[in-house]
Amino acid sequence: MIELILMPLAAFVIGLAMVLMMRRIGARLQRRVGPPLLQPLWDIIKLHGKETQTSHGLIHELGIVMAIGGFVAAVTLMPLPGMNGLAEQGGLIALVYMMMIPSLGLALGVGQCANPNGSIGISRALTAMLAYDIPMVIVVFGVAFFYGSTSLVQIIDAQQAGGFATWGIAEMPLLAFAGLFAMQAMLGKQPFEIYVAPAEIATGPMVEMGGKFLGGLFIMQCFQLYAAGALYTLLFLGGGENWLTFLIKVFAVVAIPMSIAFLFPRYRTEDVVRLVWKWPAMIGLLGIAFLMY
Amino acid sequence: MTSLDHLVLVSALTLALMLLFGRMRIAGRLAVVLYAVQFLLLMQTGALLGEPVASSLTLSVLDLQMHWRYDALSWFFAMITIGAGFFCAWYAAGVWQERYREEGHSPRLFHVALAANVLTMLILLGSGDLLSLFIGWELVSWASFLLMAVGGGPAGRAALRYLVYAFSGGMAILAGLMLIYTQTGSLDYARVLSLLGELSDGQVWLLLLLIGGGFAVKMGLLPFHLWQAAAYAETPGPGSSFLGAISARMGLYALIMLLVAMLGIGRLTAMEVPFTFLSARDLIAWIAALTVIIPTYIALQQHDARYLLAWHGIGQGGYMLLGLMVGNAVGSAGGLFHVFTYGITQAALLMAVFAVVHRTGTADLNKLGGLVARMPLTFLVLLFGIISLAGLPPMAGFVSKWMVYRSLVAEGMPLLFVAAVVGTLGTILSVYKLIHNIFLGQLRIEHEQVREAPLSMLLPMLGLSTLIFLVGVTPGPALSWVAAVQASLGLPPVPYTLGGIEDPRGGLDMLWLVGILMAGFGVGALIFFGLGGRSKRVHQLDNYAGGHFLTADVRYQYSDNFYAGLMHLIGPWYRGAFLWLEKALTATVAFLSAVMNGFYRYAQPALFVLATAVALLALTTA
Amino acid sequence: MISDLAVPNLFVAQAGQLVLPVVLPLLAAFLMQPLARVSTALARGLGPLVLILCAWITAQLWIQLGDAPFTLAIGGFAPPLGILFYADGIALLFALAVPVFALLFWPGSESGGGAGADSRPGSDQADRDQAARRDALVLLLVAATTGLALSGDLFNLYVFYELAAVASFGLVALSGTGRAQVATFRYLMISAFGSVLALAGIAILYMQTGTLNLGQLAQLAPETLNNPIGSAAFALMLIGFGVKAELFPVNTWVPEVYAGAPARVSALLAGLVSKLAVLVIVRLLVLIFPQPEAAQMLLVLGVLGVLTGEFAAWRAKDFPRMLAFSSIGQLGIVFVAFSIGGEIGLLAGLAVALHHLIVKSALFGLAVRWNGSLEALAGAARTSPLGAALFVLFALSLVGVPPLPGFWAKLTVIVGLAERGTPLDITALMSILLVTAVEASYLFRVAIRLYQDNPDPVARHARRDLGVSALLGAVLVAATLGLRPVADVLGAGAAQLGDRAGYIETVFPSHVAGKD
Repeated sequence: MIELILMPLAAFVIGLAMVLMMRRIGARLQRRVGPPLLQPLWDIIKLHGKETQTSHGLIHELGIVMAIGGFVAAVTLMPLPGMNGLAEQGGLIALVYMMMIPSLGLALGVGQCANPNGSIGISRALTAMLAYDIPMVIVVFGVAFFYGSTSLVQIIDAQQAGGFATWGIAEMPLLAFAGLFAMQAMLGKQPFEIYVAPAEIATGPMVEMGGKFLGGLFIMQCFQLYAAGALYTLLFLGGGENWLTFLIKVFAVVAIPMSIAFLFPRYRTEDVVRLVWKWPAMIGLLGIAFLMY
Repeated sequence: MTSLDHLVLVSALTLALMLLFGRMRIAGRLAVVLYAVQFLLLMQTGALLGEPVASSLTLSVLDLQMHWRYDALSWFFAMITIGAGFFCAWYAAGVWQERYREEGHSPRLFHVALAANVLTMLILLGSGDLLSLFIGWELVSWASFLLMAVGGGPAGRAALRYLVYAFSGGMAILAGLMLIYTQTGSLDYARVLSLLGELSDGQVWLLLLLIGGGFAVKMGLLPFHLWQAAAYAETPGPGSSFLGAISARMGLYALIMLLVAMLGIGRLTAMEVPFTFLSARDLIAWIAALTVIIPTYIALQQHDARYLLAWHGIGQGGYMLLGLMVGNAVGSAGGLFHVFTYGITQAALLMAVFAVVHRTGTADLNKLGGLVARMPLTFLVLLFGIISLAGLPPMAGFVSKWMVYRSLVAEGMPLLFVAAVVGTLGTILSVYKLIHNIFLGQLRIEHEQVREAPLSMLLPMLGLSTLIFLVGVTPGPALSWVAAVQASLGLPPVPYTLGGIEDPRGGLDMLWLVGILMAGFGVGALIFFGLGGRSKRVHQLDNYAGGHFLTADVRYQYSDNFYAGLMHLIGPWYRGAFLWLEKALTATVAFLSAVMNGFYRYAQPALFVLATAVALLALTTA
Repeated sequence: MISDLAVPNLFVAQAGQLVLPVVLPLLAAFLMQPLARVSTALARGLGPLVLILCAWITAQLWIQLGDAPFTLAIGGFAPPLGILFYADGIALLFALAVPVFALLFWPGSESGGGAGADSRPGSDQADRDQAARRDALVLLLVAATTGLALSGDLFNLYVFYELAAVASFGLVALSGTGRAQVATFRYLMISAFGSVLALAGIAILYMQTGTLNLGQLAQLAPETLNNPIGSAAFALMLIGFGVKAELFPVNTWVPEVYAGAPARVSALLAGLVSKLAVLVIVRLLVLIFPQPEAAQMLLVLGVLGVLTGEFAAWRAKDFPRMLAFSSIGQLGIVFVAFSIGGEIGLLAGLAVALHHLIVKSALFGLAVRWNGSLEALAGAARTSPLGAALFVLFALSLVGVPPLPGFWAKLTVIVGLAERGTPLDITALMSILLVTAVEASYLFRVAIRLYQDNPDPVARHARRDLGVSALLGAVLVAATLGLRPVADVLGAGAAQLGDRAGYIETVFPSHVAGKD
């Protein structure tokens, strides 16, 4: 039971650090100094502490609750070093679907805001989800099929059995590449960031989010970064033998999309779909074909 | 008199009472009670776990014996049928019925049609040989036609289209049965089963085409899916719920009889499709997968809530067949279980949509919005429903879909797996559009005064929602039925627990998952409501509009062409090929008809008489 | 002892009454004109009275004489010299159906019955003459068709057939409209050609065998007619008698005539007369031409009739014409069924034929008011709910929806075809199934239209037409409920109909006795 409390807590802390890392990388690439260590935490506290907290109704609030709660639940399905949490009860497929709950919560919350610009943002976000989830499930299928199990515990055990040579990335390089590609889109990083639209807030899902609503989404982002990094680590990098290697792997995985994000411009929604359905999906299917024959 | 006789008699009594007293106000409640009695009688048959229960009625025509019996499969489908009848009658029993009467329709006709549907389905499900199967099939087809046609107007046109499809399908089935009859000399299951193995592959293909095709019509499998959405959507409220929940599944029942019980998955796997590397089983699985994808993405384009759900109904049927075609314990259980979970889901969803129609008078997704503030409970029902329909935890639909996915992974069918997920993602997109355009966004001026749905309609909706959630949390009891059905079909039974599936290579325990999800929500709520300042409710028009002014009289709801970006890409892929095919067939019939008419109109009588005489004489003397 | 003696007497007396159902209407028909000049009321009452009497006599005969077939030599000359009436279960059934249906669809009371005052001013001399002529023609038709059912020799059959033709020309042309006259002319042309061919066929038979008595022909057929010449004779007679039986392709008169004639006359022609013509063909097929070529001809022409009729009906624009095309299709199925042969084929044919007799007559009964275009029927259910409900019932039975009788009839045909299973049979089976779907489509297009909203629906049905249709609907429902006894009766009838040896034995009892 303690695990179930510790796992989301660890995820949150790692997520905060990832946000910090993301900002630092961005700053370095743009030759700035970047924020101090605890800046992400302060941001959350500041947002929650704001005096003006504009609510558009109960669903607006519950949407945020669902967004956070979904991730809190989802991270307990991902085994950490020494902690299996609910990985035995859920498994990979349940995890993938559990990670859609926050998106649904966010979508409901934004919808309640009665701002058409928000709704447009959600329509783009869901379209993007349709795009990146397809290579994502191809990757998930490939891994589960290769290891003959949908239990993450067993998948990790199988990977750790023979060192690097049995890691997913060594066994299934094509799928690993497709997974990375899909993760880029999943995290909403350039060139796939149109649905988040951070630069022009008036046409994104965030348009009506202020104060603790935005603070809640900030927390959600921490979890999201962690979840993406951890999932990739579990599927392809052998999970964590111990906390040190786990953290290195997770941060390394998340650093990649952040670093290359700044190289790209932005795609339109339909171009995101076209691109993601074409390259990572095809590479993923090719990878599965190699696995099966 | 066996317990099965009691069940069918009470069902027939329901029909008779509705015929007699359907005009009265009490009829609706009477129907609810009678469906409840039928449910209890069904429970009493014990056909699920015990021996099959036979009916004492037998008929023989032309030396063909007909008899009826209930086994676990019949019990399972009958349970859903009567349950759907119960909830739909409950929904109709109060305010809905009065409104229906005020609109100039006949509640009696509606109640009769519903009772006839339940009765005929019970008869079909009891069929003990192929002839009684066909008769039950036809009865069900015509009963559905009745229920579809009672609405009048566009419903009539849709019902007629259904009729042409269903009846053509019925004739194909009859042709297939005659093929069996000529080959085996009997229409009795046991005898046919023993002789079916001797049929050549070509004959089995023909059987699949004729009988399978005929059954597929009812289920709306590709390419016979065109009729279903309009026919189901235009049916009056609770009728639409009923049809959506169970009617199309009669096709699945019959397909299970044909594909699983009679031919067997093994035989299908052994049959190669000529010139390809597919087996018959793969082919059917792919038809199922395409039935998931294509109707789901057609649903995405709909802007009428009823049509949107009806199109999804077609797509969800694909999952059931897909699971059955995978054929292992978890997959076939998933397919069967989805019949149940989808049934309760679709019934609740359509009820919620019709409750909105009841209050606002429209189901047009471009003319609604913001109703969550006025109809919160209906919103809740719809929310539970869409989560279940999309197959997300913690609702019932997730469990059954999870089982289908799990089996596809276990059997190593990547493309079918991806197809199934593509269908699910499309479902998520379109159900969000559904709930957004009805309940979220801006409330329209004309809906300022709308009230919550009346209690008589709300209660069954909430009941179904509770069921959806409970089955999602503890699928075990329902899975025990499914396991019994599997055992009776000769399939490996699914290893179930109270919370889900037991599988050493990755199982599922919904008790834990839902528990952690609720805990997660609790944490989220704690963070959100516990920390930070108090939030202040503002009017919906108090919005950040990026420099524009939102005024009270010009509402702006983003609803039409909701997924503009996606449609920009996939829009050209909607070719309407099946519609084209249908039109081509109709045109062929029209052309033939014109030719025949011409013969009768312009014929030179004497010439024809002479020509025929000469022809016949030439023939006989040759 | 006394009763032992009395039975044969009674038997003779009863069997002798068999001529009455033919003779009485004939007499009444000739008396009609003079009687009309004496008393209109008497003339008006004469027809129904005679029909009731005929029906009563036939029913009595059937009940008292039971199932065994018997013959009646007219004038006391023994066959093969004299002319002969032959009565078995089926013949009596049709002989009973003729007066009953004529009574149900008696045209006379259209002006006097429940139709209302619109045709009331028919009390002057011309109208009275017209009514008398019409009544006489119907009685003539009744006499002729009863004769067709009972006649035991080919020459009489031909005479009665011609008589029926004349009577029906008169009835069809009665309305006097241009359309009706054109239709009648066409009908006349085809009938005339057909009669010539039938006569030629009969002549061939006579040349080959020297007799026209069916019993004797049946005896001689295996030696003399089982050859191309015999088949040719059958082909000629098939076309000839096929005109009335709506056999493809000599049925081109059907749509125009039924659309132009009064609906009740159409009911009689489509329901009754066509069935009697079919009965004649079946007798020929069973007794004289058991060779497979004959059945094959029937099968091919039947399938063509099914296909052309039902497809043509799909585009029919008005109600009677739709019924007419549907009637062609149904009779096609009847021919297909009889072509199967054997007991199952005869049973199937009888079942479909009787079912069609009931259903199509009743539908034409509805067409008395619904005689216009199909579009005009929109919303008719509002003014005539019972009529619309009956239409749906008949349509359901016609397309063959279980458990209505139409389904069992069609199922029997299909099982019969499947059992024989030659490629031609399978083609016929598929054609029937295909057109059944087409049939359902057009019939229920109409049914849906009946229940549409329409502020200005057509007039309601007269009580009498509706009553007749409702009665026939009740018969249909009763047959559904009592399926087993009905099937048993029909099975026995079919067995009798197909019993060639039995026929010969009945006609020439001495022949068998002599052999013994």
